[in-house]
Amino acid sequence: MKYLTTFIALITGSLLWAQDVKFGKVDEALVARTADPAAASVAASVVYRNVYIYYKYIENDGFHQFREVHERVKIYTKDGYDYATVSESLYRNGGDKEGMSSIKGATYNLVDGKVVEDKLRKSDQFSEEVNDYYERAKFTMPNVREGSVIEYSYTVHSPFAYSIDEIEMQYDIPIEFQEVRVEIPEYIVFKPQFKGYLLLQPEYGKRSGKINFTYKDTGRYDDRTQGFQSGAVDYQINTISYEMKDVPALVEEPFVNDMDNYRSAVNYELLYVQYPESPRENFSTTWDQVVERIYQNDNFGYQLNRSNYFKKSLEQLVGGETDPIKKLSAIFFHVQQHMNWNGLYGYVTDQGVRKAYEEQTGNVGDINLMLVAMLREAGLDARPVLLSTRDHGVPSLPTQRGFNYVVAQVVLDQGYVLMDATSKYTKPNLLPVRALNWFGRSVSEDGRSRSLSVFPNAPSKRVHFVNFQLDADGQVSGKLRTQYTDYRAYNFRSQYGVMEEEEYLENYENRYEGMEIISYDRKNANVIGKAIAEQIEFEMEEPLAITGDKIFFSPLLHLSSDENPFKRESREYPVDFAFPWQERYNVNIALPEGYEVTSLPESAAMTLPDEVGGFSYHIGQNGHSLQMVVELSINQAVVPATYYPGLRELFKNFVQKQSEQVVLTKTGSDGNQERTGGRR
Amino acid sequence: MNRIFTFLPGIFLLFASLGQAQESRYQAVLIPDDLKAQADAVVRYEKMTVKLRDLFRMEVDMERAVTVFNSRGDRHARAVVGYNDSRKIRDIEAVEYDAMGRENRKFRQRDFMDVSAVDGGTLYSDSRSLYLDHTPVSYPYTLVVRYTVENENTAPLPNWYFLSGYRVSTQESHFELRYDRPDLVPEVREVLLEGYEIEKETFFNGFRYSGRNIPAMRDESMSPPFSEVVPKVMVRPLHFGYEGIEGQVDTWEDVGRWMYTHMLQGRDALPESTRNEVLHLVADTRDTLERARRIYRYVQENTRYISVQVGIGGIRPISALEVDRVKYGDCKGLSNYTRALLSAVGVPSYYVHVEAGSYKSDFEPGFADLSQGNHVILAIPQGGKLHWVDCTSQTIPFGFLGDFTDDRLVHLIDENGGRLVRTPSYKGLQNGQVTRARLALSAEGALQGEVEIRATGTQYDSQYGLEDLGAIDQLSYYRRRWGYLENLEVSGLAYENDKDAVQFTQRMDIETGQYAKKAGDRLLFAPNALNRLNLVPDRHRDRKLPFMVQRGFEDQEAYEIALPKGYRPEALPGETAFETPFGHYRLQVSYEPESHSVSYQRKVLLQAGEYAPDQYDAYRDFCRKISRSDRLQMILIESDTTK
Repeated sequence: MKYLTTFIALITGSLLWAQDVKFGKVDEALVARTADPAAASVAASVVYRNVYIYYKYIENDGFHQFREVHERVKIYTKDGYDYATVSESLYRNGGDKEGMSSIKGATYNLVDGKVVEDKLRKSDQFSEEVNDYYERAKFTMPNVREGSVIEYSYTVHSPFAYSIDEIEMQYDIPIEFQEVRVEIPEYIVFKPQFKGYLLLQPEYGKRSGKINFTYKDTGRYDDRTQGFQSGAVDYQINTISYEMKDVPALVEEPFVNDMDNYRSAVNYELLYVQYPESPRENFSTTWDQVVERIYQNDNFGYQLNRSNYFKKSLEQLVGGETDPIKKLSAIFFHVQQHMNWNGLYGYVTDQGVRKAYEEQTGNVGDINLMLVAMLREAGLDARPVLLSTRDHGVPSLPTQRGFNYVVAQVVLDQGYVLMDATSKYTKPNLLPVRALNWFGRSVSEDGRSRSLSVFPNAPSKRVHFVNFQLDADGQVSGKLRTQYTDYRAYNFRSQYGVMEEEEYLENYENRYEGMEIISYDRKNANVIGKAIAEQIEFEMEEPLAITGDKIFFSPLLHLSSDENPFKRESREYPVDFAFPWQERYNVNIALPEGYEVTSLPESAAMTLPDEVGGFSYHIGQNGHSLQMVVELSINQAVVPATYYPGLRELFKNFVQKQSEQVVLTKTGSDGNQERTGGRR
Repeated sequence: MNRIFTFLPGIFLLFASLGQAQESRYQAVLIPDDLKAQADAVVRYEKMTVKLRDLFRMEVDMERAVTVFNSRGDRHARAVVGYNDSRKIRDIEAVEYDAMGRENRKFRQRDFMDVSAVDGGTLYSDSRSLYLDHTPVSYPYTLVVRYTVENENTAPLPNWYFLSGYRVSTQESHFELRYDRPDLVPEVREVLLEGYEIEKETFFNGFRYSGRNIPAMRDESMSPPFSEVVPKVMVRPLHFGYEGIEGQVDTWEDVGRWMYTHMLQGRDALPESTRNEVLHLVADTRDTLERARRIYRYVQENTRYISVQVGIGGIRPISALEVDRVKYGDCKGLSNYTRALLSAVGVPSYYVHVEAGSYKSDFEPGFADLSQGNHVILAIPQGGKLHWVDCTSQTIPFGFLGDFTDDRLVHLIDENGGRLVRTPSYKGLQNGQVTRARLALSAEGALQGEVEIRATGTQYDSQYGLEDLGAIDQLSYYRRRWGYLENLEVSGLAYENDKDAVQFTQRMDIETGQYAKKAGDRLLFAPNALNRLNLVPDRHRDRKLPFMVQRGFEDQEAYEIALPKGYRPEALPGETAFETPFGHYRLQVSYEPESHSVSYQRKVLLQAGEYAPDQYDAYRDFCRKISRSDRLQMILIESDTTK
């Protein structure tokens, strides 16, 4: 930027792109309209939206970015009133700050068959300092009612020329027509990254721009000619425009970790900046370049090379140890125990590893880069792995902004181990759920990087061993042993880690009506890395239906699930389980004296294509007891939407199977004996 | 929607400076066992000193030291202090000590975050707060926070709780108040102090309450809110300054007069055009109530709720003129505007302060104070009765309050002053739901048929919003409501919202996947397919707090279920009835051979009431019996194996 700082900007030729829709020219038919033509039950819809992003040259400061927004919204119902309030977050850093200006707004209502306009006034506009970095500018439209059309336009002016905020292409309400145009001087080069499920088709073009300027001649050769000279620079402006019709609303679906990840949008990632007669300043283009830039950051690469602050501790931890697995786990558990995560993300350090280590708190970068440094110092091939958390989208193209998190990787002869010491409940090869988001970028010491999957392959299991004893009067007593492995254990610890046992048991009893816990034991709850085993001895009242000489019950008793979580017929987005899992029940039921089995559910099994998941249900009689093995498993962390119908069917059948009843009949009752086993 | 505003802004999380502390006293091991029981944290020491300097100057010193045992206890040590233009924070600092009582870290004012304290429902407010973003490094730890607040307002005065929440105990707690002028002597009310180690000392210019060794309480289902069970001292000023205005109040009448004179009077002017418009609206009727209804409908159709709170705007409504222009406002602004419109058509009304929320919270008789209440509604006197409206809802019927402001003492204000009255209640039978259905069960076990649900009272309140949902959301609502009905399809959905009768009717056709469970030759199913109650509250082994059913309800079911051909009933739930002080339950299931169907009749009444802790098990039993009876199954057996 410094190469142009003496220019006085006189941008010409902007706004060549005329808008079809003029502010204030609102059709009476639109104001009179009572329901959305496309989707009858929407609360509001955006009739027209125009976003225009462009640059202007500002004297002594280089290019500034401007974003003009013009939106026209039809409000149908009271639920749509929320769209009459507009809010923009304005960033600031040091002396530089974003500002909002040229705010114009109007509400149109039909009164006695005529369109009446109410203008937005200064008193309807507010600005609030959220914290040191953000200000929130808001305004709310006057005189809004059902049927109103509101329209507003404003400009956000940003001195942060190298950063374009994510441009949303989809709202929670439909957009009938939108045009988005981005005009960027040739000196600043961005790469678009598309997000979401809508097809975005930008049209690219070029036009010329001209900067007229005056500059001060320093009169190097002749003192007498010193003074102001004028000149001009012609340059090219790259234009990108999007036009979209009938953009559907983004509709919430269950088992999605963050709907915003599926919202269609475009992000512009800075590739490089190159002003005339000056060298190119690269930001990112290839993965190697992205990684190189991240490495050059003092709060990343440099932090990996610092080691003095932990030398002593490290010596105590692994001095003399040669087994790499033992080394890595000793170091991991030390960092995990010593450090306390302050809740902040980021792949770079916040306060720096040394200070963080001293103060025992830090952000993700502080903690996990420190972990990498210690592992390296101990002679292991340790690498930082850059990634994006589940609420931060999926980085598919090389970008810096795509990352917001870092974990540690150790490469061993037999494979690799991923580690994150920010959670108290993780272990080597078990990242916290927030970090489970497709891919990470592992960076080796020579600066090269490669992609690796962060999803766990092994299913996290919950395995139940149950012994029930049924009583002829409806009482059930039993012993339940449950093992929780991997993420099941992680979730258990996260949820119940600080809960007193007494309270846990009360909750457990409250979950199953009529249950009373006789004894309870839990093993390995605090031994991170080991499966948790709990054993519950209980008694339960009347989960059985008893009529006349018969007893009916579903053999999984209180452990059965009676609701299919997938209620919708179809689905657009993948089903995100975060990790593969398996639920298994080994059940042994001792039958009451004086009864015999009249009918049993049939054994059954179902498998989804490509082994995405399945269930099996086996039940059989063995003397005076029943034995069953039931298993439900999902073998992929994220199941694509194409499998949804099958997945829904799987859960439906599983729930149905569990509801099927065992029928017992009192022996010698009336001879109305039927054969044992299922019938079609 | 968040319709609540904070009456007088200010978070009173408060404490005094304490010379030099002997820090080792924060050793966690020094805490007596009975204070650790059921506690995630212990308030080791806290002291608030309120200094009333003059009518427009109050200083509050606060010191608070909390030892935290686990991450759940962190919230009790949170340092958050609110401020605004008339309330300034001075000298805030915090110190963290480790388990041994050694100083770990110190935080100065610059280490605190300065953030806007605007909540989601508010467009703008001048409330801000300083807070410490503190990450504990080990447990237990102790965090000491000290600060001073200078306030230009002397109302409200802080109330003092000797426990700061559930699962936190108090070792030592002092609340001191000093006044520099005799006319600033406040009135004090002690609440629930008996049985605790709490003493009062009196000085010539003030007083001090000191509490010691107060064990933690546990949260229990259906108990009154914490503020109603905690030992506390309430304080109200008799003479105060607020936003530059002096006040002298003793009775609720005085508070009403002060409110009217300073906050309402002269804010009800309307533009001529609007005045004419509403006059035209009611021109054809002389009936006061009909006029009021039309004005209320006009307000509901033309305004919306937007909250802006700045300075005195915390209790003074924006003017009717301004609301008329922008057509939005908060509860104060919209109520004042409606009152102005009513007045324009000759209908008198009261501006009413109320403490809104599903818990029924009364204004304190004999303890008149500006700080009570968080919401405004209107009362229209007519025919010796008051008719109530909430102007922040665009949909609620005229004269109906629902469970947001029902059955509580509220403060009625008009030009003559103020008084407390009780809002209407909705109890037991008044909150009715009648479900009728004509269903058919198929041999495969699927259910299909027509359903009608009629809801009144609070059940109206919780369901009438359905009509404003989109079709997708309506369908998902029913799929959630009847989550156990696999593959539920709903068609022919029709709603009837009778606002005069406050009755909401839903009619629909339903179709399910497999509903009856198979067992060999038999089908099992619960005839109660549409309203299985589960009221059973959590079990508490040693219940300490009283419990309450705030409103209760009555549900009636009348279903006719046609049975599949080829099956006959083998066992029916038959008849059940039980009666308790909490309510009653009646069930009758019978087989009608002519129509080959089952008639299911069931009625449940849950009475409103307040009960002693020892009644809790009996109440749970009642609920469990309801839950079991609602899930009773009937059994069908294949009567003709050849079909």
